[in-house]
Amino acid sequence: MIEDEQALCETIVSYLEEEGYRCEQAGTVELGSEKVNLYEYDCMLVDIGLPDGSGLSLIKELKKCHPETGIIIISARNSMDDKISGLDLGADDYLTKPFHLPELNSRIKSLLRRRKFEGKQELIIDKITILPENRQVLVNAEPLQLTRKEFDMLMFFVSNRGRVLSKESIAEHLWGDFADSADSFDFVYSHVKNLRRKLLERTGTDYFQNVYGTGYTFIA
Amino acid sequence: MKLQTKINIRFLTVTFLVFTVAGVLFFFALDKVVNQNIHEMLESRKAYIILNLQQNEPITDLLESPDHSIFIKRVEKTGEYKRFSDTLAYDQEEKELIPFRKMTFSAHSGDQHYQVVLLQSLLESEDLQMVIVSFMTGLFGLVLLALFFLNGWLSNKAWNPFFKSLSVLITWKIGENQAVSFDRTGISEFDQLNSTLENMMQKIQADFVNLKEFTENASHEIQTPLAIIKSKLEMVLQDKTLNDQQHQRIHAAFESANRLSKLNEALLLLSKIENRQFVDSSEIDVCKLIQSRLEYLEELFALKQIEVTVRLESQVTFNMNSLLADILINNLLSNALRHNIEKGKITVLSENQKITISNTGREAEMDVSRLFRRFAKQTTTSESNGLGLAIAHEICNNYNLELNYHYLNGMHNMAIKQKS
Repeated sequence: MIEDEQALCETIVSYLEEEGYRCEQAGTVELGSEKVNLYEYDCMLVDIGLPDGSGLSLIKELKKCHPETGIIIISARNSMDDKISGLDLGADDYLTKPFHLPELNSRIKSLLRRRKFEGKQELIIDKITILPENRQVLVNAEPLQLTRKEFDMLMFFVSNRGRVLSKESIAEHLWGDFADSADSFDFVYSHVKNLRRKLLERTGTDYFQNVYGTGYTFIA
Repeated sequence: MKLQTKINIRFLTVTFLVFTVAGVLFFFALDKVVNQNIHEMLESRKAYIILNLQQNEPITDLLESPDHSIFIKRVEKTGEYKRFSDTLAYDQEEKELIPFRKMTFSAHSGDQHYQVVLLQSLLESEDLQMVIVSFMTGLFGLVLLALFFLNGWLSNKAWNPFFKSLSVLITWKIGENQAVSFDRTGISEFDQLNSTLENMMQKIQADFVNLKEFTENASHEIQTPLAIIKSKLEMVLQDKTLNDQQHQRIHAAFESANRLSKLNEALLLLSKIENRQFVDSSEIDVCKLIQSRLEYLEELFALKQIEVTVRLESQVTFNMNSLLADILINNLLSNALRHNIEKGKITVLSENQKITISNTGREAEMDVSRLFRRFAKQTTTSESNGLGLAIAHEICNNYNLELNYHYLNGMHNMAIKQKS
């Protein structure tokens, strides 16, 4: 995690540690470069605007010594140029500050899935089996029909199991720029309802928990 | 009225007046001189006749010269007198009546008394006057004409630096980083004006850039603390020991932080658009873009039971940045969705290189003068930040596009087309 803003860095690290990751931090390009050259990581989160240079140079460096490490850019600059040059250098994803922690978590998980298992990983959550590559969900070996958005939503929930997911973060995950429309909250509500019903019918278990006024939690 | 026309009119009026007065005065002076001349001539003839009468006694009572210009009549003794008068007489040569100056006087030689009448033709002097007056009039006319052109040429030359400065001012646009420079004119007033203008424009430009930079930096600096607030609140929300009320309160704070960061992003975007930081552009098939956006929104339309009519047969392309095109269409469509009513309508229509997005809405006609201004919210819905249309408008401005609003039959219509 290469980020110069100490408070933000700590929050992200503590969120990710709760998810069971081991995290190391660096606040400058110099420190980051030292760590990148010394150790091998599964994933690097890197801010572009660092006090002693650009995070882009770290991406270049990392690509040279450990090309298999996943890279997610975290930047305050919502600039197309940064995004494009970052992705050109070999970064896997790009998140603009401020972002939702569950969003970051879900991006990391999806990145690791792609990197480590080439996407061919089955996620088994209680009675539900998810094949992310085929965008398929199986319950008792029978396929469960979900709409595109319902599937995205399920993946988001599964990536953040046991977490309270606010309506905002769900809406933003699904809609991006359109998330500020109040209608998207209604949409989140109605789709959670549908997803919940479909899973309940097939599995007999209610995996969702309402968090009053805030959002939902997926428990399994 | 043009400066030159104004100067010309004033100048010519004064010149004309002066010439007219001078002309009239000149005419009278000329008249007087001619008259005096004739009198002198008559006087000298009188002296000659009197001398002749005293030397040679006339034989008859009535004497007339062959050219009918002298008549001498013997009369009874009278007193001394001399009279001038004008008369018309028939002229043999000219075969018409012509004006004469008549001088009647008394003369005596010894005890003989005579009355003498002298006639002097005025024809020549009138001709002379005529020639002089018409020559003068012609001259005045010529001088007037010459002055007119001279004045035009002179003022053109003298005001040339002014017109140059004016054209620089007209083409100058604030915010566009063009260096302003005026040429040295060599005329101190114009040089003074130009240097004052130059200083003023530089100051305005600097202030403008400062203000923009401030907005940008402020937005930028706000983003990081906001990210921290949001992530910390999100962490707190994960706390299982919170009760419902605490949850709700934290969520309300989280929500506001969220809105603030959205607002901030929108402001940043707006200043970036104004700064023209989106450089590359390409031909964008707007119909295709709208089509894909509509598909993306399908579920939201369905949820609100909005009837969407799409008529995008005629292809429309705008040359613009692809990201901005995306934002423009996004903003207009989400606007049409957000302000719509349950079971409302949205129509998207393309024709003649023009895109029209129409929707039903809760509100009646909007005030066009405020519609595209920042934070000019005309509704009370808190979920809109009042920047969506301002951004759309600014994007259109950037690419010489026209974003028009009109209200017709209960439909709010937003139309985009190339400025003509």
